[in-house]
Amino acid sequence: MTTNKTNKFTVPIGPQHPALKEPGHFEFTVDGEIVTGATARLGYVHRGIEKATESRNWIQDVYILERICGICSHVHAMAFAQGVEMLANVEIPPRARAIRTLIAELERIHSHMLWAGVAAHEGGFDTLFMYIWRDRETVMELLEMLTGNRVNYSANVLGGVKFDVQQDQIDEIRKGMDKLEERSRYYLEIVTTDETFLGRTRSIGIMDKKDAAVLGAVGPTARASGVERDVRVDVPYAYYPDFPTVSITDNAGDLEARFVVRMKEVLESVRLIREILDHLPEGDLAVRVPRRIPEGQVISRVEAPRGELFYYIESNGTDTPERVKVRTPTLPNWGSVLALAVGHKLADMPMILVGIDPCFSCNDRMVHITNNKNNDQVWSWEQLRQYGIEYYK
Amino acid sequence: MNTTEALAKAETLLGSVTVSSDRPQENRLDIDIKTEDLQKSIQILIDNEWGYLSAIVGVDRPDKPADGEEITADTNGKVEILYPFCEGNAIVTLRLSVPYDNPVVDTICTIIPSATLYEREMIEMYGIEIKGTPDTNKLLLPDDWPEGQYPLRKSFKGLGQS
Repeated sequence: MTTNKTNKFTVPIGPQHPALKEPGHFEFTVDGEIVTGATARLGYVHRGIEKATESRNWIQDVYILERICGICSHVHAMAFAQGVEMLANVEIPPRARAIRTLIAELERIHSHMLWAGVAAHEGGFDTLFMYIWRDRETVMELLEMLTGNRVNYSANVLGGVKFDVQQDQIDEIRKGMDKLEERSRYYLEIVTTDETFLGRTRSIGIMDKKDAAVLGAVGPTARASGVERDVRVDVPYAYYPDFPTVSITDNAGDLEARFVVRMKEVLESVRLIREILDHLPEGDLAVRVPRRIPEGQVISRVEAPRGELFYYIESNGTDTPERVKVRTPTLPNWGSVLALAVGHKLADMPMILVGIDPCFSCNDRMVHITNNKNNDQVWSWEQLRQYGIEYYK
Repeated sequence: MNTTEALAKAETLLGSVTVSSDRPQENRLDIDIKTEDLQKSIQILIDNEWGYLSAIVGVDRPDKPADGEEITADTNGKVEILYPFCEGNAIVTLRLSVPYDNPVVDTICTIIPSATLYEREMIEMYGIEIKGTPDTNKLLLPDDWPEGQYPLRKSFKGLGQS
């Protein structure tokens, strides 16, 4: 790409690009090296799920909604089940709440580690990527042991959970937690001390607290900018009322902060899991929920690994929902990042986009860079990523 | 500020634009507003740093058809648009409705720029015209999606089926 300061280039990236594992389209208008405008085009894996929920019954919808996302499948089903349970005025047994939370925290660990590896790869630090993903196998195997699946655990039913946790499984989980704690402390040290990596993350992509708050950023993206927003703390659900967690924040608001917050959250999840296992209540796994759900409307929010997951559910009194609206955490985070991309360097774009831990299944997207001389350059994501790595060499 | 205080504060702040209100859940306050008061209402919440916009939700409300009849593209009705704001556990939802024959609402991107993604979804899924919104490109639907087909309206049963 020629860098002529008087030309405006729009760099299209995607829709298929190896770096972000799903297709998406982003459009950056650049003046030389600096981004002057940014927008996104999503929809490449849009599956019409919200519409589909309106022609299936409440039980069938659990199965559809838990397939919105492979990485955060459990929280989707949990948010929906919670909402339906609110409408039906049903309280689920404590053991079910504990197991829902246990799996949610294991999911958070796997998701944050997945992201940390991918983000390291984006920054050209492939060794770190490989090591993190190797250690992530620990939690994947625990999830498979508990639920039968590495992805899409299908643990939730309306009214509770589908399966129990046995003593020998609990012992395995504890062993796994010890290992993950040790490794996560090590990775936390690496991301805060490795010079080359800090060159790609410290002071890059800064979002200040006020912007993060007003633009509606959520999850670790918001917390890395000092905004104390965590649904587990603000609206304790499932087992969090009994075993609270804390909102982990950082004030730097840069990419390094986003790494630090997520690694610390892994450590906090480890702590929480140990505590839940120490105090697992006896009892039933589920209660009956009627087939026809009473009329009404609820808002159900949970803290997915990426941030606040928002469900609006309306019932018309039948066995089929009137409306299920799913607003996933990546959408407001896209909004905040696109609004702030202006003024940053193009070479920082891959890291900034990856910094919000974008989930395409939850959202889906691509990148476009335009040139006002009708000399459009279409870049693949791999090209943009390489451009970033070369720039910082 | 706990949930009760937060909701009471919002209720007071939005008094001037409230047409009617409801408490659908303990932690929620729904405020029906006039369509033309949308920007004013949003500005009130933002100026007073009450919460953040969590989503924009559309709900299709076609008129109930006569017994035995189906909802078609010719059925009259309206689209309800919800703007939920979250402040900790408290949620205040601004609600307004626009009729099918005049589905126009103002943008809120002048106040909350990141709302553009939500507004694009409303335009393509419900056929809402959002005045002043900065980007009207399709967000989720393909570029060659036929005009006049709004997937989240109840009358939509799939392309090629009425």
